[in-house]
Amino acid sequence: MSTTNGARWSAIRAVSRFETAKLLAQWPTRLLPLVCVLAPVAFGLVLRIQSGVPADTLFGVWVHTSGFAVPLVILSFAGAWGFPIIAGIVGGDMFASEDRLGTWKTLLTRSCGREEIFLGKALTAFAYTVAMVVLLAAGSMLAGVVATGTQPLVGLTGQTVSSGNAAALTVASWGIALLPALGFTALALLISALTRSSAAGMLGPLVVALAMQLLGLFGSGDIVRTLLLSTTLDAWNGLFAAPSYTRPLAWAALISLCYITACLEGAWLSLRRRDIAGTGSEERTWGRQLRVSGVAVAVVALLGVVSNLGPTSVTATKLAHSIESTFSNLAVLQQEDLGRHVPPGSHLGNGAVCSRRGVRDTQRGPGDDWLCSIYVPSKSLSQPTEVSYDVTVKPNGCYTAEGPESFIGPLTLHRPNGQTVLNPLFRFSSCFEVAP
Amino acid sequence: MAAYGLSKRYGSVSAVDGVDLRVEPGAVHGLIGLNGAGKTTLLRMLLGLVRPDLGEIAFFGEKPSPAAGLDGVAGYVEEPRFYPYLSGRQTLALFAALDGGDAPRVDELLALVGLDRKAADRRVGGYSTGMRQRLGLATALLGRPRLLLLDEPTTGLDPTGASELRTAVRGLAEDGVAVLMSSHDMGAVSDICSAVTILASGRVVWDGSMERLRAEAPAAEYRLETSDDAKALALSASHPGVRARADGASGLVVAAERDALDGFVLALAAEGIAVRRLAEVASSVEAMFLALTGGSTP
Repeated sequence: MSTTNGARWSAIRAVSRFETAKLLAQWPTRLLPLVCVLAPVAFGLVLRIQSGVPADTLFGVWVHTSGFAVPLVILSFAGAWGFPIIAGIVGGDMFASEDRLGTWKTLLTRSCGREEIFLGKALTAFAYTVAMVVLLAAGSMLAGVVATGTQPLVGLTGQTVSSGNAAALTVASWGIALLPALGFTALALLISALTRSSAAGMLGPLVVALAMQLLGLFGSGDIVRTLLLSTTLDAWNGLFAAPSYTRPLAWAALISLCYITACLEGAWLSLRRRDIAGTGSEERTWGRQLRVSGVAVAVVALLGVVSNLGPTSVTATKLAHSIESTFSNLAVLQQEDLGRHVPPGSHLGNGAVCSRRGVRDTQRGPGDDWLCSIYVPSKSLSQPTEVSYDVTVKPNGCYTAEGPESFIGPLTLHRPNGQTVLNPLFRFSSCFEVAP
Repeated sequence: MAAYGLSKRYGSVSAVDGVDLRVEPGAVHGLIGLNGAGKTTLLRMLLGLVRPDLGEIAFFGEKPSPAAGLDGVAGYVEEPRFYPYLSGRQTLALFAALDGGDAPRVDELLALVGLDRKAADRRVGGYSTGMRQRLGLATALLGRPRLLLLDEPTTGLDPTGASELRTAVRGLAEDGVAVLMSSHDMGAVSDICSAVTILASGRVVWDGSMERLRAEAPAAEYRLETSDDAKALALSASHPGVRARADGASGLVVAAERDALDGFVLALAAEGIAVRRLAEVASSVEAMFLALTGGSTP
């Protein structure tokens, strides 16, 4: 019996090789790498043949301006839907398939112990997830470069990010997203072990991700939001702000690790003392699935109730500060698009005031009722011109601002060379740092 | 292998109740019982699939750790199950790698269990029960076990396959492997077992060598159909060594040693009673088994 650490790791590696061979022998997991590469490439091809942009997504308006915006848009989608789907396919069937096929009794009567089999399976699921995220990232980068090119990127604060920096930050963003992706895989492993159902294991992460997004979207309090795994997917946003903020990165790592640890511990507890008592247990499996689903629904309901508890980090001051800088940088960009000479380091020197309409507390909280007035100095007038933007702010500090056409111009602009580009001030998205 | 006082309950049902069991090296030990006697649950406990409520197990003089894998012990319970998307050969190769074994043994084992090249390269999803039994035995033998636990291994095998499996098991025992083999059919295993443990309702009702079982076993039972069953039954009473009873609407069940039976058949003829059918329905060991377990003659 394996007693030394060396023998133990050797057994875990053997289990991992065994599980990898099984994954590669099944069509869903064999197809997944192909999808991870081809789906972004297909997205890139669609971008090439149409002029529309996914304007509701961060960096969406810039997909025709810089190729680096494409992998960031895909990262936003992948975080919301792609990672839970990958987790479900890779991890959701990892334990449940042994129940479905009745193969626990074959697998657990080998020379490897339960712990080694568990760790080998978890290791395989994580390694496969990492491989899929890397392929997705590589496919996205390729799609961006092929569809648009390697031009400098417009950052979240409207600043210009050089091509080299944009490439490095994009790679870093995908790297940061690995931990939440592994968190979803750990969640899939937990659901797979608890419910013993392949269907629940594969769909569960997607359902949980959806529930988390809804909680994150509608809950205005910071407490629940900061504890959600879905929140950690936004951690990379601060890398593209000026000045950049990196505190969410550490928090995302901590939360992701907590999810990974808790889910793995739960799955191990479920397997460790389990009796593999044979067939005829379909009714018990259904009962088990109902119990697990019941507990999950109760937890989500409870979180829904308390999601508004606690303070909110969305404040008028933070929003005004962010929108002022972003507007200023984008205004410079707009002038350059129009072929006007802008001296390096130019700044509008504007100010901004934000408040909410129709609510009791006009100075804080997420919502689509923010109004920000930006004051633009004018050479011809003694008073600065007031430009009002309707702003929708999400609980994660990201917002979308839409301005009046009368002042900022139409949706599209014509560059002196005849090229049509989106007016950067017409509708822009940005983010500011929120708790923790 | 030694097990002491093994017990397992599922709710209010006692599946195994205080079972002691000892299997010696080189022995083929039969674990016999009717369906539901607790054989599979006992094997599951021995293989570490189910935790005993009470009792202890020792392999080769050592208590196995619950967290560790099986070392020198292999086997399967119920029908062996595999991954349907893998071929038989892939299955063996993967399990060999998992056990840290050698790949060349795969072909050797496929030949031993009688899975030819064509069958070995087919996906397991298309295997018959018998083929899965053969693959199950091959998988169990990958790690060169010193103790082999087999649950109803001849289920699903045709007579030739069952005979080949018994030959293979006998060969393993000759090489020093201890084999614990469960069955609900005493007759099917009595010719290869050197010792048996008989279970009924989760408890051991008989345990010992096959030799002792044969010595203690009652006479074999035969079904007898004559031209006058009532007269034949009356005649049996005057024949020492012959016990007969009516069996349903027609025919008798006769328990007798071979010599006494011969004398009884001759006496029937002398009385003008024609013997229309005489067939063994339970050998002496089967009769013993049925008596111990409360089973009925087939």
